[in-house]
Amino acid sequence: MALLAVENLEVVYSRAITAVHGVSLSVPQGAIVAVLGTNGAGKSTTLRAISGFLGLDDARVTEGRIRFDGQDIANLPPHRTAAMGIALVPEREKVFPNLTVAENLAAVPSPRPRALMDTVHDLFPRLAGLGRRTAGLLSGGERQMLAIAAGLMGAPRLLMVDELSLGLSPIATAELADSLRRIRRELGLTILLVEQSAAVALSIADHGYVLENGRVVLEGSAERLRGHPDVQEFYLGGSAGGRRSYRDVKQYRRSRRWYG
Amino acid sequence: MQFVVNVAVLGAIYALIACGYVLVYRVSRVLNLAHGELMMLGAYLLVATASGIGSPWAALGFAVALSLAVGVLVYLFLMRRMTGEMVLAAVLSTVALGIMIRGVVLLVWTASPQYPRAALGWDNPSLALPGGANISFFSALLIGVTAVVYAGLFVFLRHSRWGMRMRAAGQNPLLAAQRGINLHAVFALAWGLATFTGAMAGMLIALDSGLDATMVMIGLKAFPAALVGGLDSLVGALAGGLLVALVEVGVIRFVDPLLADVVPFLVLVAMLVIRPWGLFGTREELDRV
Repeated sequence: MALLAVENLEVVYSRAITAVHGVSLSVPQGAIVAVLGTNGAGKSTTLRAISGFLGLDDARVTEGRIRFDGQDIANLPPHRTAAMGIALVPEREKVFPNLTVAENLAAVPSPRPRALMDTVHDLFPRLAGLGRRTAGLLSGGERQMLAIAAGLMGAPRLLMVDELSLGLSPIATAELADSLRRIRRELGLTILLVEQSAAVALSIADHGYVLENGRVVLEGSAERLRGHPDVQEFYLGGSAGGRRSYRDVKQYRRSRRWYG
Repeated sequence: MQFVVNVAVLGAIYALIACGYVLVYRVSRVLNLAHGELMMLGAYLLVATASGIGSPWAALGFAVALSLAVGVLVYLFLMRRMTGEMVLAAVLSTVALGIMIRGVVLLVWTASPQYPRAALGWDNPSLALPGGANISFFSALLIGVTAVVYAGLFVFLRHSRWGMRMRAAGQNPLLAAQRGINLHAVFALAWGLATFTGAMAGMLIALDSGLDATMVMIGLKAFPAALVGGLDSLVGALAGGLLVALVEVGVIRFVDPLLADVVPFLVLVAMLVIRPWGLFGTREELDRV
């Protein structure tokens, strides 16, 4: 059974704007699942719906179900989803900037604070040496490490990362991607990764979904998606049969919008 | 020397009350305009326990515990319901709460002055200081309690997990909630601690010089001290309290004692013109106020 199952999810902002139309996702226990898409595709909205942040944006799940470990969690507030074992690393404002690195970690209610502190220091040795540094002064990569580490301090069962690579150098991104692989391998955590960079996401994921205009337009194993011509052209920057014309691109997008 | 002692005593009173304004604002972004009334209620709780409980120390301890509980209950039964509403609605709720407390105090204890020190059987000897200055025992105790409360708050906020959670919730409540921090528990704790510190000030003032319903004016005068220091800074509350006290005692001594009640607000207006975010406040807080 999937640890997380999203079925025909529809999310409406301000009772007027539908941002997600019937999205269905399945995240099996112990898997890394990637959600790809461009800006405005509905990736982050889907993540916020799972983690309970929608109510704060005047948005609601109006259709469909979100089941975590068999329980319906649609429209639950963030602290309830956190208590159930879902940790979110948000895209922005992911650390408490005026707290030190050590305080960011210690502030998280944790069932095994010492053991988990050792675990995150083992995963991110750099953080161990930055304990007294104010989080607001960290580099982008260090902030992302701290945000993931803080998420792990709560001993979650599902770690959701919104835009792992945003604003980071390729070296920092590769280091973080390695960390996610270790987290899955050594801690057995299930990971849902929302990412614009398909190259990064498909290099670590087992399975992927491509969202456009709030709909799932493609899904499959990471290997299959990496070889898919549309993913190659629109997300990986290459094309097996030469570059398509702008009209073809528009046609592709239209067809996805109509039939997706 | 007496001038310095007077500034220290008044500064300690303002600082002890102002830290309550800061605690609540810093954690929940709500201006608690009932803080003066909650301070006064704490003093009246001491009057009640002093007449009802035989042992003076048990009476004091029970009143302190009750004041902490009052703060938590105010959050649970009133302010919690304001979560998600406009900040203005929450602030107006505190105004209504203050009016209600004033009414309850008048109904239960009337407008007559009360002297809990006499009921507890304690003396308030005058202590001689070097330089010919004098200070009453309870005024000296008030300075000591203020120092202990501030030291305790700094240690609590800096080194305890719940203190870190309070600071985290004040910075980004959404992220704090997602990290599993129970915001309602954090806010209730902030309200409890704020009411506790205010009530300590109220009790010590009442033990020093008695109390009546006009005590609320002292709480009102401590509000400019919190703003002058910077509404999101505990260090600021201490500095603001001392600055307002310095100017107020100076005006009383060198200009006209009748201006005493106006001085804190004149200092506030001057600070708003020169440095609107206060001595130690953060500039971004200005929009939120």
